[in-house]
Amino acid sequence: MDISTTWGTAPAAAGHKPPMSDGYDFSALRVLVVDDSFHMRELVRTFLEGFGIKDVTVSADAEEAFDLVCNSDPDLIITDWNMAPVSGLEFVERIRRGANVPNRFVPIIMLTGYTEMKRVEEARDAGINSFLAKPLSAASLYKRLVTAVQDKRQYVESSGGYFGPDRRSPKRRDYRGKERRGAE
Amino acid sequence: MAETRFLQPQKHISQKVRPGGPSMEQAILRAVNAADDLIGQYQGWAVDDLEKLWQSFVETSRAGRADPDRLKSLYDMTHEARGQGGSFGFPLISVIGDSLCKYLEGRPRLRSRDLDVIKVHILAMKAVFRQGLKGHQGNLSKELHELLGAFRAKVAQQQQAR
Repeated sequence: MDISTTWGTAPAAAGHKPPMSDGYDFSALRVLVVDDSFHMRELVRTFLEGFGIKDVTVSADAEEAFDLVCNSDPDLIITDWNMAPVSGLEFVERIRRGANVPNRFVPIIMLTGYTEMKRVEEARDAGINSFLAKPLSAASLYKRLVTAVQDKRQYVESSGGYFGPDRRSPKRRDYRGKERRGAE
Repeated sequence: MAETRFLQPQKHISQKVRPGGPSMEQAILRAVNAADDLIGQYQGWAVDDLEKLWQSFVETSRAGRADPDRLKSLYDMTHEARGQGGSFGFPLISVIGDSLCKYLEGRPRLRSRDLDVIKVHILAMKAVFRQGLKGHQGNLSKELHELLGAFRAKVAQQQQAR
């Protein structure tokens, strides 16, 4: 599976036509960037501001970032994975399961140097919306931002413990027959 | 059987995005230009980070072994370099960092031959900075990727033979 397109092309493949093919005005968005590397989070912030987003908050650790999620209700979260003491993965799980989170549906982009398939699947199963592999470019970040805007997937809450975007492939999302999977 | 509920978010990011902004090309160009200074400073601080990685390697070599914490520290520093290199205009650093991450990942301990592998990778990163090798340098990026892959495979083969 090509990780750069696993979710990136999902809305288009599912038949969602972009409402606006070009020329988005992102200025009203509130974005939270979480990365323990000062330089990486500044690069992400600079790119986002270059796209016209005025309200970009950065945080160096997931603990503080979780408080920010609860208090400032961002429209989008971009998080690194490899952080301590709370990893990006735990951060995502806390948001998706958190009782005090104002918006458990908030789109989350996992920005990470981990590119192995098992990592991609682990992040997906934690409830991320899309995966963006480092090295980062302005173009790849812009595309993920557009994907977040165009992605109208429904969310799934299962007794198996998953809460997050529908993980089924675009073809299976339209399936309306009997669900034959035994367990989550 | 697992019970599943499908939910449609009441609030969606698209509700706060309007048409009429700059084109994708314009927005990306603006972002790249805005990051120009930041990218220009990369080599300065990345060389310092690389020196820390080198020092950690030297201490590991002196000790003749690496405990799990030391190994994790070496991996984390390399992982950072892998993510940052290409993001700041030095994709060769990402190629070398990726190769070393692949070598270190899942390794429970380090043996003497492993130290040689680490050393080669760090020296390669130092050479990239010393020569100021920005961008992919034509085919060098691909060749380096292949060369390091072959090197890792050869070392693994030698270790299995022992």
